Amino acid sequence: MRLIAGVTGILLALGMGSAAAAESSVREAYVDVPMPPGFKVVSTELEGPVFADSRGRTLYKWPIVSLRNGYAGDPKDKSACEDVVTTKTGGYMSPYPGGLGLPDLDSRKSCVALWPPVVAQADAKPVGDWSIIKRSDGTLQWAYGHQPLYTSHLDQSPGDVLGGTGLFRRGGDTPAERIPVGPPSALPPGFRIEGTLNGRMLVNDKRYSIYVSDADAPDKSNCTTEACLQRWLPVLAPETAQPRGEWSIVQRSLGVRQWAFRKQPLYTYMRDTRAMSYDGGDEPGWHNVYAQPGPAYPKSFTVQNTTYGDVLAERNGKTVYFYTCGDDSADQLSCDTLDSPQQYRMAICGGGDWARCHELWHFVPAAADEISQGSVWSIISVDPKTDRQAAEGQAGAVRVWAFRGRPIYTYSGDEQPGEFRGHSMGEWQGRRNGFRAFWLRVI
Amino acid sequence: MWAALAVTSLTASMALADGSQSIAATRTIGYVTTDLHWAFYQTADVDKDCPQGLAGYGPRETFKALYPNGGPVANTQLARESLKFFPNDKQMQFPYIFAKGNIGVGVNLDGKVGPNDYVSPTGEKGIDNALQKVLGCNAQFRQPEGQLQLFGNKFVRTSTWNRTLIEISNVDDLSNSDDVAVTIYRGRDPVLLDATGEGVAPGGTQRIDMRWGKPIIQHLKGKIVDGVLITEPIKEGIYPWAIYNDVPTLLNWRDMRLKLTLTPERADGLIAGYMDVESYYTWLTAWSTHHLSYGRLDPAEFYWTLRKMADAYPNEKGEMTAISSALTVNLVQAFITHPEADAMEGGRKVTDARH
Repeated sequence: MRLIAGVTGILLALGMGSAAAAESSVREAYVDVPMPPGFKVVSTELEGPVFADSRGRTLYKWPIVSLRNGYAGDPKDKSACEDVVTTKTGGYMSPYPGGLGLPDLDSRKSCVALWPPVVAQADAKPVGDWSIIKRSDGTLQWAYGHQPLYTSHLDQSPGDVLGGTGLFRRGGDTPAERIPVGPPSALPPGFRIEGTLNGRMLVNDKRYSIYVSDADAPDKSNCTTEACLQRWLPVLAPETAQPRGEWSIVQRSLGVRQWAFRKQPLYTYMRDTRAMSYDGGDEPGWHNVYAQPGPAYPKSFTVQNTTYGDVLAERNGKTVYFYTCGDDSADQLSCDTLDSPQQYRMAICGGGDWARCHELWHFVPAAADEISQGSVWSIISVDPKTDRQAAEGQAGAVRVWAFRGRPIYTYSGDEQPGEFRGHSMGEWQGRRNGFRAFWLRVI
Repeated sequence: MWAALAVTSLTASMALADGSQSIAATRTIGYVTTDLHWAFYQTADVDKDCPQGLAGYGPRETFKALYPNGGPVANTQLARESLKFFPNDKQMQFPYIFAKGNIGVGVNLDGKVGPNDYVSPTGEKGIDNALQKVLGCNAQFRQPEGQLQLFGNKFVRTSTWNRTLIEISNVDDLSNSDDVAVTIYRGRDPVLLDATGEGVAPGGTQRIDMRWGKPIIQHLKGKIVDGVLITEPIKEGIYPWAIYNDVPTLLNWRDMRLKLTLTPERADGLIAGYMDVESYYTWLTAWSTHHLSYGRLDPAEFYWTLRKMADAYPNEKGEMTAISSALTVNLVQAFITHPEADAMEGGRKVTDARH
């Protein structure tokens, strides 16, 4: 999968892209925007098309956001990420004051060390939405859409997007995240793409789900009866709309035109009462639409029905959780990786007690015959004595499943499949420093 | 189909407005939950209700007292956050203010009149509501501006998790029925807002969630006396109430029962029983420490108070594990469609009172 993604990325970067290449590998098509020399677009499993540097490293932005007690991130055309090791908390997250000592100062890195700015050469010229800003040390940095660009020290291979994601962001409770930057999706007006664990979901401009029917033929709608049309609303194309790329237009009747994507006529579901719904897909023969599917989770995993919806679980049906953490410094550095300070996780998983943490929260072991499925769902080796990542084959190390390079967990408080007692355990309902279940669909 | 359904609902609403005559057809009526508040008696005079003042040691205050000079984040902020999830790690450290007074809202759960019981505002003795003593002097729980009562209640109408339905069947009429069956379901549909966009109108339709909501289904038996539904307690009951986005929390009761004044349009009253202490603590701490600061409610301190005031269901050590409590609940009439009816195309079978 990773190789295919890489190849796809290269094809797209060479300008062979957009619709045709993306369709052949079921990847999200994008608008072929002008780029400075040395940059390209890489198609990724979770985030869709993203910009990358000449080495294939994903580019990120750090947009300024409002936290509970102030703002963090880059304002327009200015980088707030400096090559200085921050030593105190910023007091961004009520009710705690700032000025508390950050952990592991002897090994703490600066923002620049973990998020190297994408350097622009002195003779670089702005192109399209790409511009150049001057950093506080006088060096030049590329920006896109007025947002300074960075790479992540976590990304090692082309297509890796381990540094940050906007998938779980929610208001001022989550940290000020670094988010991958990519070209606009190739969509007609009135549509957009939303990232989900299930795939890059096609929705309308009100974020309501778009559906297709198995009963339709290529570029032909068979939803013409009153019974069908009482439930399904064809997504109409205006008179001036033209087919382009993966998008075509179905003539329902004289003057009534309907959008089709990959030759499948599109609908919204009359019974949907909220954005990004899956309810229409419960109707036999009807499906949500994805510009590209989500990364396949490990084959041994299961999906469990719970009172709150469908959740991802390991082979025995126990709910799996990811741990997420951002510190309260001005840098808003991640504390959810194995190379970051572990004090945050230990506080939540064991009340600061290492043994209790291990008793309550378990890594999800990978079977000997299981292999990584890409960079999103991968198998890593962990030294259980230190909880640090170990070299593969290191004595005493355990092979465990990871999501975005971070280990996932089960919770001992869950006794039966479908239980999710560990969900939201942590600071700010687990969004700031804690555990969240992998919800594939909620009620 | 939607037009047809709307007409059906309208017709049914009109029939209901005529009184309980419409019940005769199906002997059933459904309601959807619109409001939940903890039942704590209060007057407009906070000094009278709480002569020692309102709760004074919340997360900000305890932090300031414990760490006046700050310190490493691991030993300060993270230490306090970890106590939220491991409250047994440290005993109570600060004074706690209890509600005084002898008037309380709730139900006489044990059928006795004890020294710690309240008298209801209407003069009924033996009201069991120890939770009122614990939280009655916390600003967060005082109405109308108390943050948890205010925002927690807002989620009742907006969260599908909180879409709890009550269906009463075997109804002779809404004034008196000797033997009725009460079933609790989860609904799948948004509530029907009235013209103001704020209130909930009767006459909406609710499909039962049989895919994820089966564990919510509970059966109670009861009777209607002078327009008041009184159910027998069930040994273990649950009532979903998420008070924050994407944090699905349940209230776990022992001896849960309902006491609701019924009309064709509304049902208002109490859910009462002994609240499992651990369940209640988990429910409340779904709010972040920041949110709990609104009412100066330090989670770890609160945990010990809750355990101390628990008054039922002792464990093997003799420690009480549940606390007497009550919720005020408001519901409006809704047509509850059952799964077999959902599958019908066109005209739908609605098991509520209609026509």
